[in-house]
Amino acid sequence: MDSPFTPTQRALVGLTFAISILLAILPLPGYTKLLRPDWVALVLVYWCMAIPDRVGIGSAWVLGLFLDILYGSLLGEQALAKVLLAFLALHFTMRLRMFPRWQQAIAAGVLIAISDLVVLLVKSLAHGTPPTWSDTAPMIANVIVWPFLFIILREVRRRAKIS
Amino acid sequence: MSTFLGWSIKRPSNLTKLILFACVSIGLIVLDARHRHDTQTFRNLMEYATHPVQLLAALPFSVANDIRRDFRTNSELRQANSQLEQRDLELEAKLSRFDVLQAEVARLNKLLGGQPIPGYRETLAQILAVSSGPFTQRLVLDEGSQQHLYVGQAVLGTHGIVGQIVSVGPHTSQVMLVTDPNSGVPIVSERNGLRAIAFGTGLANRLRIPYLTVTADIRIGDIFVSSGLGGVYPAGYPVARVTEVKGNPNLAFLKVRAAPLGQLNYHTHVLLLWPKQVAHREGLHG
Repeated sequence: MDSPFTPTQRALVGLTFAISILLAILPLPGYTKLLRPDWVALVLVYWCMAIPDRVGIGSAWVLGLFLDILYGSLLGEQALAKVLLAFLALHFTMRLRMFPRWQQAIAAGVLIAISDLVVLLVKSLAHGTPPTWSDTAPMIANVIVWPFLFIILREVRRRAKIS
Repeated sequence: MSTFLGWSIKRPSNLTKLILFACVSIGLIVLDARHRHDTQTFRNLMEYATHPVQLLAALPFSVANDIRRDFRTNSELRQANSQLEQRDLELEAKLSRFDVLQAEVARLNKLLGGQPIPGYRETLAQILAVSSGPFTQRLVLDEGSQQHLYVGQAVLGTHGIVGQIVSVGPHTSQVMLVTDPNSGVPIVSERNGLRAIAFGTGLANRLRIPYLTVTADIRIGDIFVSSGLGGVYPAGYPVARVTEVKGNPNLAFLKVRAAPLGQLNYHTHVLLLWPKQVAHREGLHG
């Protein structure tokens, strides 16, 4: 909390979220979109873990609301999931930081999977369609992508001296 | 720890925030699911913020298209031109015949005392984004209420019915595809006039046609076109081809699967229709 959070740093964190949203709504053909990781959730977990005093539940809620508009899902559906995800990530901040990389990836993947369950629950309650096995594909993609995304975002964080 | 009007205020704990925001979210979900109209204004406001993001996400594809267009060689263009000219001739010939036929149908209809064939005004809209999954099969179009789009408007492709508009923002609108689990299209068999409804399944290449009795005359390969019942979709456009018919004598209804004919995955532009009455009311003449 000692060093201030300058507008430039804030904009940089915002930019990483903006890019993740772009990647999340980029139209992909056919079955390739099943392997699309939940970029927004991954970036959110990273920042919640790295700077828990700056990025938290409030930011997650606003982010989720934006996603709801973009996905055309029920308002609050993604917001609820992202709020839960941010809470879990903040709760396990210290443990996530201590884990070796592969274990961290699995932990992040499990947290995102838990928040995905909320989305699936809301969707099956609201629309009456049961979840399918194909919903698990992005959860696996999350775990695979995490180590690479972690390295990129850590580099961004160190260069910009965000703490 | 800070103070406000003499009260000491603590930074709220994460659990407090979680409960607070979760309650607000659940409230929003319920509100949105039950009273969609009340949240529409908020959605429209938010779309001003999200519209640039959607445009940006569509950018790589439009840029790729532009580049592909710009780098065509002269011979390719000549070839394409001659092909198009030939096609133009063919279509011209067909069209001249169409005019005659249309006049004849109108005359026959008048003779029979039936309604004239409903006139439609149409326009093209570009697809900005596609969202598909087991729960939603949607498209986002680049036109909205500024272009007089309205909820419940029929959307067609070159090969048949694509879907209908379910929400309209100022500059964008969302189309529910016929394969959306919430979609139902009143249809009629081309072969024998059997009436049915085609429901979406959430899969891009499958529709289901429930509530057909075991004795219904339906076969694999039957083509179903829209019947025009219900007033949303115009009559006579291809909707589905039957791919699977399973009958179990112990059950009252057949299990019928069909493939959508609208080629939902192949378009960059779709056709929007305005019935003439609506077009007239909105002050559009075309």
